[in-house]
Amino acid sequence: MKFNNIVYDSHITENKLLIASNEPKKEAKVVVLQPVGYPFICNLVETPKIEVFNKELFELYAQDQWEGFTAKEGSYLFDQKLLPDYAFKVIKAHPDESKITQNTSILLVDVLKDSEDIQKIETQLKIDDVVGQEQAKTKCKIIMKYLQDPEKFKEWAPRNVLFFGTPGTGKTMLAKSLSNELKVPLYLIKATTLIGDHVGDGARQIHELYDIAAKNSPSVIFIDEIDAVGLDRKYQSLRGDVSEVVNALLTEMDGIKQNYGVVTIGATNNPSVLDYAIRSRFEEEIEFKLPEEPERKEIIKNNIDSMPLEVKVSVEKLAQLSKGMSGRDIKEKLLKNSLHKAISDDEDIVEMKHVEYALKNYQTEKNEPKGMFA
Amino acid sequence: MQPLQSAGYDRAITVFSPDGRLFQVEYAREAVKRGTTSLGVKSREGIVLVVDKRPTSKLVEPKSIEKIFQIDQHIGAATSGLVADARAIIEKARIEAQVNRITYNEPIRVETLSKKICDMKQMYTQHGGVRPFGSALIIGGVNGKGCRLFETDPSGALIEYKATAIGAGRQVAMEEFEKKYEEDMTLTDAIELALDAVYEATEGKTTPESVEIAVIDAKDKKYRKLSEEEIKDHVEELLIRKEKEEEE
Repeated sequence: MKFNNIVYDSHITENKLLIASNEPKKEAKVVVLQPVGYPFICNLVETPKIEVFNKELFELYAQDQWEGFTAKEGSYLFDQKLLPDYAFKVIKAHPDESKITQNTSILLVDVLKDSEDIQKIETQLKIDDVVGQEQAKTKCKIIMKYLQDPEKFKEWAPRNVLFFGTPGTGKTMLAKSLSNELKVPLYLIKATTLIGDHVGDGARQIHELYDIAAKNSPSVIFIDEIDAVGLDRKYQSLRGDVSEVVNALLTEMDGIKQNYGVVTIGATNNPSVLDYAIRSRFEEEIEFKLPEEPERKEIIKNNIDSMPLEVKVSVEKLAQLSKGMSGRDIKEKLLKNSLHKAISDDEDIVEMKHVEYALKNYQTEKNEPKGMFA
Repeated sequence: MQPLQSAGYDRAITVFSPDGRLFQVEYAREAVKRGTTSLGVKSREGIVLVVDKRPTSKLVEPKSIEKIFQIDQHIGAATSGLVADARAIIEKARIEAQVNRITYNEPIRVETLSKKICDMKQMYTQHGGVRPFGSALIIGGVNGKGCRLFETDPSGALIEYKATAIGAGRQVAMEEFEKKYEEDMTLTDAIELALDAVYEATEGKTTPESVEIAVIDAKDKKYRKLSEEEIKDHVEELLIRKEKEEEE
């Protein structure tokens, strides 16, 4: 705190007063502040969440401590009373570079938590880049339409959708492309981060998430690996907070509070462990299936173009060989391994032998007992 | 953390889960799905049993993969799932058939035999220290009352079918049957239908070497395995038919 070091403190204060007195300022009429935080982070202090409880009181509090200070847009004001050295940014001052007086009305805007929660993913993915999965894509388009014109749907809005299916079939990819194409906020949440360190964190974080989403509605919440939070309540014995987290999610998805304009999409590869009440809240459960041969061809075509070496194996052949693989398997296990094998052999062309090598590795991964079954 | 779906209720076969399921028995049914597809079709002229047996290696003698068995003169069975379990069941079935002949001096009824097999399978879902059989059977035969076709699964459930399939391609084959089955088919029609279903279930990978066909003709009431030449004729005909369909 400033009083710890009197010399510097007085200096600064003097300076401030100097500025204040030197400039024949106009009187500030309105100043809008945004809480920013401490100049540095250390273990002793936790950045508090600032929310104005009573506007009138806050104004008095602010006027009192910053009277005579210059409000310049973009500059910072440090709190000197309740939270010493807590910084507020002046985001708006009218007129600019004016003096704060007893008559200045001072407002505080909320911290836009968006910057933390909306994970703008750097991606050029379009929904149509996801191969196959027509049902899911249709649903995404409906959601997009709804978000463009929420009034039209009224109570018939899409609210909760579940994506499920084997890993690597494009659930998260679709969500990413959706976030790319949507013009509204998309909260891409990893369900595991919703659990938190302590018992009680989970439910609180879920409520906060929905509060923010509702404030910024229309918006979309995408919860990846939703089985981490939507676990069936009979697994209470496995993790102490299952019930509490599930109940939080239940009330938010469709409960007392109508979260109009908030669409929830959940994704999981294990829908059977989801709580039955959560499942019942999903109006549609869309399965992501393994790609069929024409779809595999398209996936291979899409990926081959970006490979650094030329591929001398026909797409048709690769599509045949990749039977039973998911989109991710095709890319990561078949194409990538073939490419790496070719590179490690110092060759410039990916040939059949490299693909065979990758395939051999893939098959040992899925080792089935031979001869036991017929 | 992957929670146990069955929460410990799959440790012993004799323990019900709270919602009334027997997980070990359900797992045994999964073992059946690991086997290749086997089918049975009932026609007015007799029973057709067809199996798909894809050799895992070139070195394997295809004949040694047994999936169709003769149980008695007039009864055959197609299996899918654990090979060894299937053979054990067939062994018991053959003995039952002979016991019946000796005791009553008449061939065993298909239904009686199927029920005997199911009784045994059932025992292995209710006693401690054992595990259920990991194979399903399609039992077909002809007796006084005409052609009968039964399917038994590891739980010991018995259902009579007009046409049925077990193993990996069950779903696909059953869809094909639902579409194309007719009551009044000849034996040749039935073979054709069964091969169609095999073709669909194996995604077109049907060759004369990969299928085995047995018929039980209603007239002579005799089980007969089709020779390699006959199978070749049928499969080639199937492939030509499928090619034509695709062209259309």
